[in-house]
Amino acid sequence: MMSLLKKFASLRLTLLGMIMLAVLAVIGTRNAAIGVGVTVIPLVILVVNLLAALLTNRSFRTQAGLLVFHIGLLLVFACIGLTVLLRYEGRVEVVAGGGFNVGQVETVEQGWWHDNRLAEIEFYQGEVQVDYLPGLNRQNTHSTLEYRAASGDMRRITVGDTRTATIAGYQLAATFNKGYALLLQWTGADGETVLGAVHMPSFPEFDWNQVTTWSTPAGHQVELELDFAEPVSDDRASWTFGNTDIPYSVNVSGADGAQRSLRNGESIELAGGQVRNMGLAVWMGYRIEYLPFLPWMFVAAMLAIAGLSMHYARRYLPKSSTAGASAKEDAYGHVARV
Amino acid sequence: MVMSLAFERQLILVSVALLAVATLVQFAGFILGRNMYRPTAGIYAGVVALLGIAITGRWVREGQGPFLTFYDILLSNIFSLALMFLLISAFVSAVRPGMLVTSPLLLLLGTWLTRVSGLAGPLPGAFDNSWLWVHVLSGKLFLGFCLAATATAIVMLASNASSGERLTRLAPDPERCERAIWALFFISFVCHSFMLVAGAVWAHSAWGHFWSWDPLETWTLVTWLMLGGVLHARATFRKMPQGLGHALVCITFVVAFLTFFGVPFVSIAPHKGLM
Repeated sequence: MMSLLKKFASLRLTLLGMIMLAVLAVIGTRNAAIGVGVTVIPLVILVVNLLAALLTNRSFRTQAGLLVFHIGLLLVFACIGLTVLLRYEGRVEVVAGGGFNVGQVETVEQGWWHDNRLAEIEFYQGEVQVDYLPGLNRQNTHSTLEYRAASGDMRRITVGDTRTATIAGYQLAATFNKGYALLLQWTGADGETVLGAVHMPSFPEFDWNQVTTWSTPAGHQVELELDFAEPVSDDRASWTFGNTDIPYSVNVSGADGAQRSLRNGESIELAGGQVRNMGLAVWMGYRIEYLPFLPWMFVAAMLAIAGLSMHYARRYLPKSSTAGASAKEDAYGHVARV
Repeated sequence: MVMSLAFERQLILVSVALLAVATLVQFAGFILGRNMYRPTAGIYAGVVALLGIAITGRWVREGQGPFLTFYDILLSNIFSLALMFLLISAFVSAVRPGMLVTSPLLLLLGTWLTRVSGLAGPLPGAFDNSWLWVHVLSGKLFLGFCLAATATAIVMLASNASSGERLTRLAPDPERCERAIWALFFISFVCHSFMLVAGAVWAHSAWGHFWSWDPLETWTLVTWLMLGGVLHARATFRKMPQGLGHALVCITFVVAFLTFFGVPFVSIAPHKGLM
């Protein structure tokens, strides 16, 4: 058993793993058909090699810095593995004045072991302001939320580029993705009324094409175009996104090709019912993530760096240079030689 | 009073001229067999002062540090590499002959800088946090230490490969040079590790992913693996010829150099795909 462990602990295997990881990382990122998932192979080799080395290599018992560095490295690997298994990443758009709807979340990645608790998230979107410098250069984002804390109380928080909200264990971060939404009231032929928001394309990214397709509750598709009376974004000056007190109209095109203009508060007849323009709002795009081991990965990485620094201090700083010249120098003796 | 871009470029031109003089002084010293450390160090100090003024003036004018454009990267790295080599050589005399290597390299970077547009773009608000500073500073420390190790390794390689008196005189104390190379290479590994961690924290705050496999991140990982791999190779193959070790140090620096300055050929700003 010990001889097998020693074989796994080989420094030659470490080198092989490192070379494989470097080569496969480059190939995997340049070739989508292969993908970076292939780096799991050398990572597994390196983890096995490192575990075996920690158990069998006596040099770790005499060189505390090296031991701390390699334990830190092993913990980083462990945190990466747990992150891959437990992680969650999703996206959602929430309209100002409206609440988070779990059914609108688009899942990007979900680990095999992730216990999905998105339904526990409860928050309502408040005011949104995003500052821009000339050249459409995005600066600070201020997005106010009211959310239900773990204690059950409703709390208010303004999230932005450097501040996130943690709700039900999930971290919510405001993204660059945001835009305008049309608040529409639909009255069907049976007299039933439904109020909803139609999200227009991201703004100002698609300020030149504020067009979307909307399926009415009656099941007919119409094209909606948001037509501002004057430019909202300014490429040559500073401006702020978030103002909805803007003169605008909505061009509605039905299947028959006829186009009608709809101003704030106006209504028009469509196939199967009537639609009323209730106003303009903004929607905000959020990234939802669950990475419980990320802070621990940072701690493990810092532990590894601390170990490296200890080893460096022991080997190279004048005070310890003579003390390190031990006859018991092992496989890592190269550091003592120089 | 705000410094104009035209004046900033004049300061850079003077710095490049000084680096050309430093290169000539080093080659003249090599041919004449004289130690030209002091005059070259004086020139480096002048370059650091001029570029320091240029960076400060640019900073005040643009309201942000030299982080964003390729011009910023070149300008700040020539400054930091010259400053670091000056400081390291002041304390570790074994690396001083390396100025024969660093002077033409800095001249090359300086000449490159004169051909790059100096127009600045505003730093997106999401990127502006303290981890950006830590990431950038640890990266500059890494490259500075790695350059000093590499320059000394090249001098040792040239010294060992030739029986000519001029070349052997380049490294008068091979043992001290050897120790300096590996001490600097090791500390560059520490700084590179810290750069990776700080970069991951910053990236998570800036665009939501601590690791995105963009070209710069991938090649930074390759550089880290090479740094660790070279140290491991010395442990594994204990009878590895000294020259091979020095060659591996040089190859690692080439990969690091291409990562710092070559990736902009793929995208014009660091992590461009995510900006």
